[in-house]
Amino acid sequence: MGLVCRLLEARGIATVYVATGRDLAALVKPPRCLFVNHPMGNNFGARGDAAMQTDILRAALGMLESAEAGGAMMDYPTTWETPFEFRPGGNRDVSAG
Amino acid sequence: MEPIKYVDALNEYYGAMGHPAYQWTINDAAPLHRLDKPVSACTVSLLTSGGVSQCSMPAFNPDARNDHRLDAIGAAADADDFQIHDSYYDHSDADADINCIFPLERLRELAAAGEVGAVAERLWSGFMGRIYNRSKVRDESGPAFAEALEADGVDVLIAAPS
Repeated sequence: MGLVCRLLEARGIATVYVATGRDLAALVKPPRCLFVNHPMGNNFGARGDAAMQTDILRAALGMLESAEAGGAMMDYPTTWETPFEFRPGGNRDVSAG
Repeated sequence: MEPIKYVDALNEYYGAMGHPAYQWTINDAAPLHRLDKPVSACTVSLLTSGGVSQCSMPAFNPDARNDHRLDAIGAAADADDFQIHDSYYDHSDADADINCIFPLERLRELAAAGEVGAVAERLWSGFMGRIYNRSKVRDESGPAFAEALEADGVDVLIAAPS
């Protein structure tokens, strides 16, 4: 999807990539990336948390005016409340065993 | 907590399965298109790659590889009218609230408040992960998507990978 963003940007459509994988995004380098340190699948926050969903969407839109160069990456300031890990095809919650 | 090291985890996972080392795309620079108007005057669309489809549509293949399917979703779609089929991440929250990965209700609210100019006529779901034939994205599916966005007068795309 980062490749898609790069292609769109080159055609004059501005993009913001809202990623939960910081290292993955750093490799592909989309034009603008908001990194959100949440489990994959919670890019905009938790279920029912409309305030955070809106805040993350606003932060993404804000990068349209703040980013000075292609490949800009910004870290969303808060992180997921509980520890999580990545298991390909698996669960996100450490406590789930 | 520190960000998850997905690259290391995936290299280890696929290596243990006997797959050859994945050839990660590494770019040193990126294009940037500066807007010539404020966001409050822009038409904004969304893209998710999380295996999201409307309930009237076929499900995505949860284990798909090289799936270039791209669904158009009407801007006024009911947020409760989605299904998610993707075996590569935990979508339990998004199953209950699609705005976790595809914030169409939040975008509509920002448009109603005047913070963005308009929600695009069509929002999008596709480019599901694990696309190895990148040249097809570059030469076919990517340009076709760009043309659809241009047809809708889209200025901005918010893309959320999962």
